[in-house]
Amino acid sequence: MNFEDLQKAWQSHDTGAKVTINADVLLKEVRRNQQHFWLGIFWRDVREVGVAAFMTWLFLHWAVRDREWSMYLLSLACFGVGTFMLADRWFQRRKRPVRSDSVRSCVEASLIEVNHQIWLLRNVFWWYLLPIQIGLGALICSVVWQARHARLTVIMGLMGYTLFCGLICWGIYKLNQFTVRKSLEPRRQQLEGLLTSLK
Amino acid sequence: MPAQEQEAIFRRWLDEHIGLMYKVVRGCAAAPQDQDDLFQEVLLQIWSSIPAFRGEAKETTWIYRVAWNTALVWRRGERRRRQGQETFIRLSPSAHAQASPAESTSELELVERLYAAIRQLPKVDASLALMHLDGLSYQEMAVVLGISENYIGVKLNRIRKQLADQLKGANDEL
Repeated sequence: MNFEDLQKAWQSHDTGAKVTINADVLLKEVRRNQQHFWLGIFWRDVREVGVAAFMTWLFLHWAVRDREWSMYLLSLACFGVGTFMLADRWFQRRKRPVRSDSVRSCVEASLIEVNHQIWLLRNVFWWYLLPIQIGLGALICSVVWQARHARLTVIMGLMGYTLFCGLICWGIYKLNQFTVRKSLEPRRQQLEGLLTSLK
Repeated sequence: MPAQEQEAIFRRWLDEHIGLMYKVVRGCAAAPQDQDDLFQEVLLQIWSSIPAFRGEAKETTWIYRVAWNTALVWRRGERRRRQGQETFIRLSPSAHAQASPAESTSELELVERLYAAIRQLPKVDASLALMHLDGLSYQEMAVVLGISENYIGVKLNRIRKQLADQLKGANDEL
């Protein structure tokens, strides 16, 4: 048997008979899926950017009410983090892979997307944890400075609080690095492999 | 694009090109559960791609692109099960065992062996093998994959040899 015979056998193979599709249910599902996708993005934005916006407002409100300079700093940190998330999302949205592009373009775009996600998570300390920690540190310093009469008690309390915040940050950082190792790195390797085979 | 038009195109593509989509799915996934998942994903992506379809590319080329782009980045076991999802695809469990009236058992066996051999290939090579078997021209394959026709020629020579090695016994020459 030569390749042409093989091709003939392949092309005469009737696949349609083995697939039954309920088109109405499928259409219902694709619409639901699309709605689910956009709702997912909307609520993720609300969650991440909304929390940052709320915290900005809250600290700003306290800063104005109590005339506390460190609260301004904390508010600014929250605003910076929220703005960064929003700007990043906006820029990345334009680079999203398009499934109807050629396979090579789509793989390249997917790789850029994954690389960016890895960069974000690897640098979560710089753009998320550090600004918030600087704001919190300033607040702690300010509180200690103001509590001259019971400084030791306040210092002990704040040390505990700092330790708690540090542990939370360490946990967030580790969780992000785990996600990179477990999920994003294998994805990147897979995409790099595909791209290599297309070059 | 109005929803009705999108729906009409989608229904027509399902009627005319379902076999093509299924071949891509079978070329990438062996287990029925995986095929079912990948097929659903491919269909969802094809639906989403319709508003961008301007008729500049051939329908088959477009569908191949979407299907392969979905299949190549799909990972086994990564299921996007949606809560309360209704099953809209039924892949016949006897698909591997029964020939249609027009087919002989030996032809069916050959096709089954071909699918198994294609799944052994690296994913990009599998996509080329499948499109080649489907009779796409080098130019069409180049459009789908985004690589040069010359490179496709080189790759296909190698793929033919690999398939021949794997199908030894069934074919004397490829």
